[in-house]
Amino acid sequence: MDIAAKVREIIVREMDVNESEVTDKAKFIEDLGADSLDQVELIMEFEKEFDLEIEDTDAEKLTTVGAAITFLKSKLEK
Amino acid sequence: MNIKLPELKIGELIAKIPIIQGGMGVGISRSGLASAVANEGGIGVISSVGLGVVQSTTSKKDRAANLNALRYEIREVKKKTNGIVGINIMVALSDYDDLVKIAIEEKADILFLGAGMPLKIPGGIDLDTLRKQTTKIGVIVSSARAASLIFRTWSRKFNHVPDAVVVEGPEAGGHLGFSREQLEDKKQTLENILPAVIEMIKPFEEQFGKKIPIIAGGGIFTGEDIYKIMELGADGVQMGTRFVATHECDASPAFKQQYVDCTKEDIVIIDSPLGLPGRAIANTYLKDVMKGKKIPFSCPWKCLRTCDYKTAPYCIAEALTNACVGLMDHGFAFSGSNAYLIDTIVSVKELIETLIAEFTAAAEKALQLEPELNPTVSHT
Ligand SMILES: Cc1cc2nc3c(=O)[nH]c(=O)nc-3n(C[C@H](O)[C@H](O)[C@H](O)COP(=O)(O)O)c2cc1C
Repeated sequence: MDIAAKVREIIVREMDVNESEVTDKAKFIEDLGADSLDQVELIMEFEKEFDLEIEDTDAEKLTTVGAAITFLKSKLEK
Repeated sequence: MNIKLPELKIGELIAKIPIIQGGMGVGISRSGLASAVANEGGIGVISSVGLGVVQSTTSKKDRAANLNALRYEIREVKKKTNGIVGINIMVALSDYDDLVKIAIEEKADILFLGAGMPLKIPGGIDLDTLRKQTTKIGVIVSSARAASLIFRTWSRKFNHVPDAVVVEGPEAGGHLGFSREQLEDKKQTLENILPAVIEMIKPFEEQFGKKIPIIAGGGIFTGEDIYKIMELGADGVQMGTRFVATHECDASPAFKQQYVDCTKEDIVIIDSPLGLPGRAIANTYLKDVMKGKKIPFSCPWKCLRTCDYKTAPYCIAEALTNACVGLMDHGFAFSGSNAYLIDTIVSVKELIETLIAEFTAAAEKALQLEPELNPTVSHT
């Protein structure tokens, strides 16, 4: 499975943004316009799609698209 | 003809009147107010925030004092009433888990979880306990979206959903679940948000085979307000401001006097160190803070997970505790947008009797106008 592509797909769908905006550097709040509920929603979608649990302490660190991809890869490729 | 306020059922809990006195911190609703409301047939709620400091004479400011104080308040309230009493616990508190655990241990009737999103099973209690315990769980939300997130998360992870939902609109007192922009938006009203939450919750009622009552709060002031919001589908109301202006309210007379004295213009929106906007009465202390004055403090144990105590201009826990005990020069009072309508302090009994009479009058008036339309009221 291409984790990065899947993560981007989820973000595009949940945040209603263009694929071109979803770069690795894009920050969820500043660049993609997420509010606190969007962030919770995204974490929930990641958990659902990849069938895993994300701790609050980890979730707090996932502020950019790239950070989310790296984190999910490390969890899934273990 | 006699039109009565209906009961409020939350699982097996049955309140004779569908009025919940919202939990009010710091120290504003403790066993005194909560028991008085419960004795009148409503649901009284103790706010669990900062009890350790308000209650103690030794001014011990640690975590343990807080937890012991909650235990004490629950035991006290049970001595004073056989009615229904809930505990309000803010998710943003750093001792949230411990408070939930204690409230369940002490067999509180119901917990109201708010000021944050309760997405985890709280308090290190396990799933089995969560499903079997007698303590009900209510969640406080300010949008259908927040309700949806909570219910979807609980449903998926715990195969269990909360027992009640309190929808708190933008006119409420204390911390608000709205951004400043949302508070400016005329479409963000309790009347608009409530039906969306009701729709949202319906499928979960079917899926889990239980009625999940929806309680509306924020700006409810008269019995007619109660009638109107129940016509829109609410199963009950949560009220704060009105209950502050009662003899039984656990705040000092000086605190209550601010409600009596304030004007509409005095009621303002502030940015709380908790990280949410809040509504409060602007006294000299608050005006100074709003102008940028810093009030030095030492933070004993970072009671709020979300507080940036190193940069906060003042300590919100300290300011609210001072206000509760009557040191109004060193604190300020939270209040709902209607607090300026308060002109006298009454007993809880008088307040509830007035609300019931106003409800009945409003219902009878509506019935005379349109006899066939009357879904919420019961006729005897
Ligand atoms: C003085 C004051 C303190 C409050 N403290 C809390 C609190 O600690 N936790 C909470 O969830 N809500 C708190 N609230 C909100 C109330 O529980 C209630 O939902 C709200 O006041 C309803 O709006 P009303 O005041 O217009 O009736 C507070 C409200 C007031 C006025």
